[in-house]
This record gives sequence, C-alpha cells and structure tokens, in this order.
Amino acid sequence: MVVTGELTALEAAYRTVYVGALIFLALMIFLCLIRAVKGPSIADRIVAVNMMGTMVMVIIAILALMLKEGYLVDICLIYAMISFLAVVVLTKVYMGVYSEKQHSKRGERNGSV
Amino acid sequence: MEVFEWIRFIIGTAVLLCGLVIFVIEIYGIFHLRYVLNRMHAAAMGDTLGISISLIGLMIFSGLNFTTLKMALIIVFLWCASPVSSHLIARLEVSTNERLKKYCETELELTGNGEMVVLSKKDKPETERIG
Repeated sequence: MVVTGELTALEAAYRTVYVGALIFLALMIFLCLIRAVKGPSIADRIVAVNMMGTMVMVIIAILALMLKEGYLVDICLIYAMISFLAVVVLTKVYMGVYSEKQHSKRGERNGSV
Repeated sequence: MEVFEWIRFIIGTAVLLCGLVIFVIEIYGIFHLRYVLNRMHAAAMGDTLGISISLIGLMIFSGLNFTTLKMALIIVFLWCASPVSSHLIARLEVSTNERLKKYCETELELTGNGEMVVLSKKDKPETERIG
C-alpha cells in the first residue's frame, strides 16, 4: 500500500475491471427490465425476473471482492435461494388464479355462480 | 512475484469477460426469439453457464480461501435450482395458454388415450407469430 493513498498499478487495474463489469451488468439489468415490462405473457415476466436475479447475484459477488467484505457472498447465496423461491411461489399463485378464473367462467355458463 | 499477480489478474479478467459475453448472448436471445418457450432456452443459458463462468473468474481473483468455496456453493445450487424453475415456468405456460398450438408448430399430438400421433398437413394450424 502506498502511504499517500494512491493506488498501485495492480489495484487500479482491479478497480477498473470491477467498475466496468458493474456498469455493464447494470445496463443488462435495465434491458431485462424492458423485457419484463414488454413481455406479453405472465411466463415472460417471470423469466425476466429470474434473469435479473442472476445478474444481481454476479453484482453482489463482484462487490464482495471490491469492498473486501467476505460476508457479502453469503448474501449472494441467500439471494439465489430467495429468487428460486420467488419463481416457485409466483408460478403457484398464477396457476391458482387461472384455475379460479376457469372455474368462475364455467359457473357463469351453467347459470349458477 | 508481482508478475504472477499480473498473470492472475489477466486470466481472471479474461474469464470474467467470457461470462459477461454469455450474458450479452442471453439478452440477444431474449429479444430475438418470438415465444416464451423459445426464450427460456436463452434465459436458462445465462442462469447456469453465464453465472458459472463469471463466478469462476471472480474465484481466480479472490485466490484460495473461504469466499471461493461459497462461490462454488452458489454455482452448485443454481445447477439444481435453475432446471426446476424452468420446468415450473414451462408448465405454467403450457397449462394456462389456451391457444398454444397457434404459437408452437407441432408435429405430434397427444390423443385422448395417451398416444402420440403425427398430424397430417391439413390438420396443422396455421402458424402465427406474436411480437
């Protein structure tokens, strides 16, 4: 470490790569967000949210190395589990909504709701 | 010994860039393909291959310590979780889309008693793509 606070050449190079990758992944997440807003079906949106989760995991792992805080990788692991859980819950919820809608439609056709 | 540090930096950067390129291909596929069951191919590629290669690059940066082990655990977890979530999303789409045949060109059809029959040409629905 240089006493004056300036970075050595290696540290500066590491920092450049980290910041470049972070900016790049932020752009990618923005594009995923466009897909999630545009997507015609529910499944499109869930796929886009899943992709955003993956990219956020890479961002957290990069931050763990950049800030030299090892515990951020634990948060990354928790994030992976929660994003998997989100997909499972969302599919179950929309399956339930769909079957309920079908049920009420069939009831209206029979004349008794 | 600083030469070795630089070599490690260069190898790690190259592997990390490969992972980012995989993410670019994923985004391209998401916008290029026309139907959600096709788009899921591209999305699953980023889920397993993209994050694996990116995290292997970061492992090379961090050296051999406990952080590396945790990153390997993330990769192994995603290998197990990503196919399951893809299967759930595909099942949601297939069971809720009533006009599935309009979007997928099918050669085979499931009959009532569970046999697969080949559709003849005139039975095929006209294919129409959605934007």
